[in-house]
Amino acid sequence: MLAVQAENLSKTYTGEGAPVTVFSGLSFELEEGVFAAIMGPSGVGKSTLLHLLGGIDRADSGRVEVFGESLEELSPRDRARFRNERIGFVFQFHHLLPEFTALENVAFPDRIAGLAPRDAERRAEALLARVGLAERGHHSARALSGGEQQRVAIARALARNPNLLLADEPTGNLDAAAAQTVFALLRELHAERRMTTILVTHNPELAQRCDRLFTMSREGITPSIRLPERG
Amino acid sequence: MRFEPFVALRYLAASRRRTHVALIAKISILGLALGVAALIVSLALLEGFQDRIRRQMLDRAHLRISPARGARLADADRVRDALARVPGASGVRAVIEGRGWASDSAGTAAMPVRYRNAPGLDDAAGPTARVNASVSLRIHSGEGEVIRLMSSRIRLSPIGPIPVAVDARVAKVTLTGAMDKTPEVEVSEATARSLTGELTGADAYEARLADPGKADQAAAVVRAALGDAYRVQTWRELNAPLAFALRLEKAVIFVTVALVILVAALNIVSNIALTVVEKKRDLGVFTAMGATPTSVERIYLTLGAVIGITGTAAGVAFGVGLSLLLERYHLVPLPSQVYLVTHVPFAVYPGEVAAVAAFALVTAIGAALLPARAAARLAPGEAIRLSR
Repeated sequence: MLAVQAENLSKTYTGEGAPVTVFSGLSFELEEGVFAAIMGPSGVGKSTLLHLLGGIDRADSGRVEVFGESLEELSPRDRARFRNERIGFVFQFHHLLPEFTALENVAFPDRIAGLAPRDAERRAEALLARVGLAERGHHSARALSGGEQQRVAIARALARNPNLLLADEPTGNLDAAAAQTVFALLRELHAERRMTTILVTHNPELAQRCDRLFTMSREGITPSIRLPERG
Repeated sequence: MRFEPFVALRYLAASRRRTHVALIAKISILGLALGVAALIVSLALLEGFQDRIRRQMLDRAHLRISPARGARLADADRVRDALARVPGASGVRAVIEGRGWASDSAGTAAMPVRYRNAPGLDDAAGPTARVNASVSLRIHSGEGEVIRLMSSRIRLSPIGPIPVAVDARVAKVTLTGAMDKTPEVEVSEATARSLTGELTGADAYEARLADPGKADQAAAVVRAALGDAYRVQTWRELNAPLAFALRLEKAVIFVTVALVILVAALNIVSNIALTVVEKKRDLGVFTAMGATPTSVERIYLTLGAVIGITGTAAGVAFGVGLSLLLERYHLVPLPSQVYLVTHVPFAVYPGEVAAVAAFALVTAIGAALLPARAAARLAPGEAIRLSR
């Protein structure tokens, strides 16, 4: 079954200057349970594609289906609920909220879903322990190292046990060792939770370790390359 | 605690460490508190004075019966009996009043006055009068001095018609009260009858009531007894123009001073709009985690509510505290020779304080609505993309 199916997506940003067309007529699909990497030069729309697949942005034209649910047809409220229950995001700059502790950051998705604060924090503690940060839960997000912040961000993305994990250059801001740790963690969690994971990366070595590799350019996105099983 | 107030309160607590947001938040709270305090103190000042005026209203007659047509009561005894039968009525007395001139004994300074009979004047050693301060000042006659009261009535004398006049010693100079519409002289009933020439009967009858609040019921009893030939007025009707003026004054003061609260509300709009801009990325992240637009809106409405509640509570505490202190310790004195009161009076009424607090809260939360709605409309993808 397809986890993600995008057809003829077009996206143009209209800011103060001239409109910028990021891509036009882009199609993309991915089966469930695959750990895929998307590579490509900056500015071709990799992050935009992730935002469209995650329903936090809308395409000018085309359609996106995630696990058979057409995102365009959902009301803003239902789309928010769908994101909360089925999609996890990891951003390049972790985007942890600095006013809150690591534990509170990880507990947010559960609290948004309406769980009691104690229950949400208990689940967050377990997730922090899983990413190796059990002792850092009560530290402010800004007091953590770059690698730790990204691990907290991964724990937060997994709080609702999503089916689809969208990771936008999660290692882009880390040193080589921290990048390896974060990537290894993502792979482990992907296998453990049987998710579908889409990883945008500029690191070819990491991309090679994924199940599939897509390459994006101005012309579009190349067909999937099925990478050999590692092991 | 729900997710939205949890985030809003943390933003406020954390913003204290960030000087610019902290300063603007404090200014918002301070502005609202000052507006609320100003409104409460203004209303307390107004109520203080109005209480005095209301007390003056109640010091006078609570019921007055006058003829529906003409100047004199047709059947004064019947009116007196009808008034005397009203439950709780006391001090039933005939009113004899007229207009004339008052001058000093030498006749060098004179002015038109209204005179009426009043109890408590001792004419054993000759006619006496109580004059109010404005009359005393104009005719240069103080307590113990003799004034001449001339009626508009004339009598024939060997040298022709001359006005009826009475020389009276000033027994007391009364301070001019808010109720005094014209210069007034009070004399004994005998002097008043002499000036008007009404040896019997009365122009009107007045009475006081044990419970002035039941004046309308008492008036109904008298009206039923006397019929349409008499005009029955309660103290409320007698003072209706003044009561209207007092209500109008209060409304004008409320609206004028409430503008301070509206200015404070604009400050809240800018404060929350600034926070929305500063926390744009967070909004994107919350939305990515599944927060609905309504949830995002609630975060900022809670911010407005917290600023509103804090500012209003501080303003109420300051305004009520200051008013009570000013009243308790008479901190604003007034020259007693000029005013009826020795200090500026303040009176705090819980109902008015509650109305001011409710107005401030609704305004503050209303002010937060605009930026909160704007925050809910932010595209999350754009918020994340632009905040890299």
